[in-house]
Amino acid sequence: MPRRPRSWAIPLVVVALLLVLGACGSGGGGSTGGARSPKTVDVTFEGQSVDPTNAQVQLSVGQPLVLHITADAAGEIHVHSSPEQQVEYAAGTTDKTITITQPGVVDVESHTLDKLILQLEVH
Amino acid sequence: MTSRTDGAVPLFVPMHGLGGAKDLPIPLGLAVGAATVALVVSFAVLALAWREPRYLPTRRARPVPVRVETMVRSPGFSWTLRGLGLLVTAYLVWALVWGPDLVNNPVLGTFYVLVWVGLVPASLLLGPVVRTVSPVRTINLLLARATGGRAEVGLVRYPERLGYWPAALGLFAFAWQELVNPQSAYLGSVRLWLAAYLAAMLVGAAVFGEVWLARADPFEVYSSLVARLSPWGEQDGRLVLRSPLANLAKTVVRPGLLAVIAVLFGSTAFDTFKDTVRWLTLMARMGAGPTLTDTVGLLGFCLVVAGTFTAAAMSTGVRSADEEPRGGDGTDPPVVRRTALPGLLAHSVVPIIVGYITAHYLSYLVEQGQTTLIQLSDPMVRGDNLLGTADWTVSYWLSFHPTLLAVLKVLAVVLGHIAGVVAAHDRAISLLPARHRVLGQLGMLAVMVAYTATGLYLLMGGF
Repeated sequence: MPRRPRSWAIPLVVVALLLVLGACGSGGGGSTGGARSPKTVDVTFEGQSVDPTNAQVQLSVGQPLVLHITADAAGEIHVHSSPEQQVEYAAGTTDKTITITQPGVVDVESHTLDKLILQLEVH
Repeated sequence: MTSRTDGAVPLFVPMHGLGGAKDLPIPLGLAVGAATVALVVSFAVLALAWREPRYLPTRRARPVPVRVETMVRSPGFSWTLRGLGLLVTAYLVWALVWGPDLVNNPVLGTFYVLVWVGLVPASLLLGPVVRTVSPVRTINLLLARATGGRAEVGLVRYPERLGYWPAALGLFAFAWQELVNPQSAYLGSVRLWLAAYLAAMLVGAAVFGEVWLARADPFEVYSSLVARLSPWGEQDGRLVLRSPLANLAKTVVRPGLLAVIAVLFGSTAFDTFKDTVRWLTLMARMGAGPTLTDTVGLLGFCLVVAGTFTAAAMSTGVRSADEEPRGGDGTDPPVVRRTALPGLLAHSVVPIIVGYITAHYLSYLVEQGQTTLIQLSDPMVRGDNLLGTADWTVSYWLSFHPTLLAVLKVLAVVLGHIAGVVAAHDRAISLLPARHRVLGQLGMLAVMVAYTATGLYLLMGGF
């Protein structure tokens, strides 16, 4: 059986990998600069439930997120950024502002109810 | 992990495991590009690569210099490493037993990040490291010496048909503890897990001898499997340097090897999946407790890996025992039972798993690893600086370069895929009769492309 030259496969791999890198280079970029207006999300706690649950929110790095909290009892929200942040609220209506300074996916959980409220995708 | 002066209140115990922010999903274009490359390379290997197996056990390897080998094999060297392993373990036992139950107790980061994740790069670079420093191995050795026995010899012979099954169970127990147990970030559950681990290892080693640790210790089996992709090997009793792919081909097939692989791959994939909004919404709709649904999910992922791989490997077109040899000139490959194929091909998924695990854990290891190194200076969480690392700050450089991070992750997945396809091809051509050499490999190729595509889909956030 004739042996094919094995050196064929290697250049092919290299070319293919370069193509991927090229594709990604053009796909990069993303939003840049500018003053960022705060984003507001209403969060309502009632008994054992919280609204919203498992909601996704797109955010820019450094863009303030205002949690407009209406609650029937005081409680605690954990923001799993690095480093982590903690938001305490009282019964009634509270506005709390959080800012994420680093790209990533950040879970915002109700510590009191053990539920995921928001998943922030910070670009 | 905020200020360490806040006192005894457990701070920020996350719902699952450790860690703050997670990686952004990799961009769609990058994922599609990588999947395309994986597909193209797979068929290129199939059509263009060598036709004669290259990674046979007889292949010559380059011995390391005698001086290096003498040093590595000297009792002084191995006892120094064992001593270091014991010392580090003693330090951590202090924090585990007497330290406070806070998330910034360094035991948690060491257990979930430095040991579990760190053993992968360590074994890739240095070979079977866990085997060399494992405190249970050392304790077993010392116990045997103290009682005048020999560590290698147990009361009964280890039943070979058990193979790696105990390790697969142990690895599943670890994955369950990390990903499912709601108490995973509390010290109590880690104490319980490690006590059970230590007991199982020492009792098993007393009964079966040291071989138990090579078959049942989840950390050692994981590390030794990953070390198959390191350049360090052994040939005719000499320490050699060889191509990682040649090393990989020498993986010893034992019962349960596929189970180990399925648990490693299935649990890592489940780890990516379980935090997606899709899974959380599904769980909320089902209404059952998260512990039950997560257990079912974790087990399901492992079973899907085992099932798809078994089916694909058995579809490989070998010559069955009842078929007449064609040539009769001795060039036909040996008769292989179809049921033996999953074991014979299992090593080829190891690079795919290692690539995916690298992508999954890269930023976690770099960033939580730094956090843990800082915490290690303060095992009692009272403001000590015993190792001089307490005043370091964590560099989040990698997270601040999400495009670079995404490219590194995708490269790890694609390189793992390529290595896996090459390994499977090389094994398949040594098993397949000449006329089946291309078509007979399609099943394996399909399942490997499916694994890589699923991995990329999960890294994209699984939306």
